[in-house]
Amino acid sequence: MQPKLTAKVRCADKEVGRVSKVIVDPISHEVSHLVVCESNGHGNERQVPMSHVREVLNEEEILLGCSSNEFIQFPAIDRDQYVTIKEVEIAHLEDHLHVEPGEILVPLPTLEQGVPRRTFFNNMTHAIGTLIALPLVFPVLKYLMKPMYKPFDNAWFSVGNVKRVKKENIGYQFKFTRGFKEAFMPEQNIEKNIWVVKATPEVQKAVYEGKDKKFHDDAGDVVWVNKRNSPYIGFSGKCPHLGCGYKWRRTKNFPDGVFLCPCHLSIYDEAGKVLDGPAPRALDVLPLDVNAAGEMKIIDVEYKAGVKNQIRLL
Amino acid sequence: MNENPETANQQSAFEKVVDFVDQRVGLKTLQAKMLNEPVPGGSRWAYTFGSVLLFIFILQVVTGILLMFYYVPSTDHAYASTQYIIHEVDYGWFLLSYHFWGSSAMVVMVFAHMSQVFLWGAYKKPRELIWLVGLALFGIVMAFGFTGYLLPWDQRAYWATVVGVEIMDKTPLLGDFMARFLKGGPTPGQMTISRFFVIHVMILPATLMGLAGLHIFLFRKAGPAGPFRGTPDELKAKTDYFFPRQIWKDMVAMASVFLIICSLAFVEPVVLLEEATPDPGDYHPEPEWYFLFLFQLLRLKMFGGEFGQFLGAIAIPGAFMALLAALPFLDTSKERDIFKRPIALISWIVIMVGILLFTVSAIINREFLH
Repeated sequence: MQPKLTAKVRCADKEVGRVSKVIVDPISHEVSHLVVCESNGHGNERQVPMSHVREVLNEEEILLGCSSNEFIQFPAIDRDQYVTIKEVEIAHLEDHLHVEPGEILVPLPTLEQGVPRRTFFNNMTHAIGTLIALPLVFPVLKYLMKPMYKPFDNAWFSVGNVKRVKKENIGYQFKFTRGFKEAFMPEQNIEKNIWVVKATPEVQKAVYEGKDKKFHDDAGDVVWVNKRNSPYIGFSGKCPHLGCGYKWRRTKNFPDGVFLCPCHLSIYDEAGKVLDGPAPRALDVLPLDVNAAGEMKIIDVEYKAGVKNQIRLL
Repeated sequence: MNENPETANQQSAFEKVVDFVDQRVGLKTLQAKMLNEPVPGGSRWAYTFGSVLLFIFILQVVTGILLMFYYVPSTDHAYASTQYIIHEVDYGWFLLSYHFWGSSAMVVMVFAHMSQVFLWGAYKKPRELIWLVGLALFGIVMAFGFTGYLLPWDQRAYWATVVGVEIMDKTPLLGDFMARFLKGGPTPGQMTISRFFVIHVMILPATLMGLAGLHIFLFRKAGPAGPFRGTPDELKAKTDYFFPRQIWKDMVAMASVFLIICSLAFVEPVVLLEEATPDPGDYHPEPEWYFLFLFQLLRLKMFGGEFGQFLGAIAIPGAFMALLAALPFLDTSKERDIFKRPIALISWIVIMVGILLFTVSAIINREFLH
C-alpha cells in the first residue's frame, strides 16, 4: 500500500506529525527517508530512515518502530542538501516511484475522443509527404549524376623520345602534360607520368603473353593495338592496387630493380607482374605509339584500381 | 524455457526495434508530447503559416545544398557555374528556380505569419519573447534574400548589392564599417562574393535554425494563443490536439505551397542577365520585388539629400522595426479581438496598403525608364 504524502505518522506511544516530503536514493531509485513535519507547533521537519517504518497502517497512517522520544533524536532536514526532481534529471526515476496522489490526469478533449479517422489522417499525412518527396528523387539523382559518367578520351599525347631509355628491362619515368576540361572551368593543364620499359623478347612475352593487346572505346570499337613484339612498353603511372604513384627502385632483395609502390608496398617486376604485396593485378599497359624518330605518344587510359580485371575509367 | 511463444512473436521485428530505442530514448513520450498539444478552440487554416515557413526553409536548405554541388563562389566562376547549373546539369534549372521562388514564398509567408499573429493579438503577454524572436527571424529571412541575390554574379545581382550596401553605409556611426565589412573592401568584388556566400550558406542558416528552435520552444512553453473570441467553455468544446487535424491542415498547406513554387519555377524559370561588371550598360538596377517598396520610397523628393536619405533608408525602417519590437510592451491591454483594437487594425491596413502602393508604383515606374 502506498502512503499518501500527507499521511499521519505515529510512534508506538503517540502521533508525531505528517509526511511532508520523501527522499529517494538516486542509485537504487527506492525511497530512503520520509521527511516528517512535527505536529508539536514548531513544524520541524525530521528525516526518518525507511528502516524505522514498522508498518503502513493504511493510506492515511504510518506506524514507526520507535518511541516519540527516539523520534525527536532524528536529524532535522537540511533543505539545502537536496534538490527536487524538477531541478534534476535522473533517468527512469519515475518508472517505479509511486507517490500519492499518483497519476495526474487531464481530460481528453471531446474532439479527440474515439477519433476514428486518426489512422486515416496519419496515412494521408504520410501520403502527402511522399507526394512531395518522391517526385524530387529522380531529378535530384540526375542532377547529382551529371559529371559522374564521361565518354572516354582517346586523344594522343606526346610523352618524349625513346632515346632516353638506354638500358633494357629498367623503368624510366616520362612526365607529360595534358589539357583537362571540366564542367564550367576553363581548360587546365595537368601533369601526369608514365613508366617506359625497353623490353627484351622474354619480357615482351611476359607482358603480352604472345598476343597483341587491343584497346577499346565506349562503343567497344578497337582504337589501338599494341603489337606483341614491340620493344617499348608504357605503364600507367597509377598503381593498380589503390591508385598511388609507384617508383622504380633497387632494393636489397631486388638488386636489378623493381616497381615499388610506397603506399602499401606492392612490388612489380619489369614486365609489370606482381611479385609481392596486395596488388590484385599487374601494372596497366598503355596504348603506346613510337614513330621513326623515336617520339612516343600515348592514349591516357586510366583503369579502376583495386580490382582483378581492367575496368576503364578515362 | 518456452514460456509463451505466441505473445513473443506478436511483436514484429520493427516494433522490437522501436521498443528497444524507446526504452533508451523515450521516443514515444517525446512523440506524444509533440503531437498531443492541445490547440485551444480547435485547428485552423490560419495557424498553418508557421509550419509552412518551416517546410519552405527545409526545402531551401535541401535545394541550397544541391546548388552548392556545382556553384563556385568566385568572381571568375560564379556566373559560369550558375549558367552551367541552369543550362547543362539535368534539372539544374528547376532546382535553382525552385530555390529562387522558394525565397519569395518565404517572404510572403513571413508577412502572412506576422500579420496573423498581429491580428490575433498573439504577441501579447505571455508571448512577448516569441514575437521578439520572430522579428529577428524576419530580419534573417530578409538577409537571406539580400545575400543570396548576389551569388549568381549577374548584372541584377551586382547592382542590387551595390545599392543595398550603399543604403547600409548610411547608418550612423557603424555604417561605413558595416559596408566595408560586407564588401570586404571599398568596392564589390571577390571578397564580397566570399563574404556573402559564407553569410548565406553558413551564418544565416545556423542562426535561423537556432532561433527557429527557440521560437518553437518558446511557443510550446507558452502554448498556442487560440482564437480571440469565445468563452472558455466554447473553446474547450472545440479544442483538439495538434495531431491529427492541425497537422493535416499544415500538410495540405505545405503541399499547396510546394505546388505553387514548382509551378512558378516551371512558368518563370530563373534567367541570368549579363555577367556582373561595374558598367550597367542598358540594365536598370532594381532589387528583388520584396525590397521594391523600400527602393521606391527612396525615389521620393522628401528622402533626397543626405539627411532625407538617412530618414528614408535607415531612420524610418529602423524606427518601424523598433516599434514592432516594442509592440508587446506598449500594447498591454488584454483585448485580443482585432475588431475591438481599431488602432491596430487601421495601422495594419495602412502599412499593407502602403507597401502595396509603393511596390506597384515601382513597377509602374519601370515604364518610364524604357
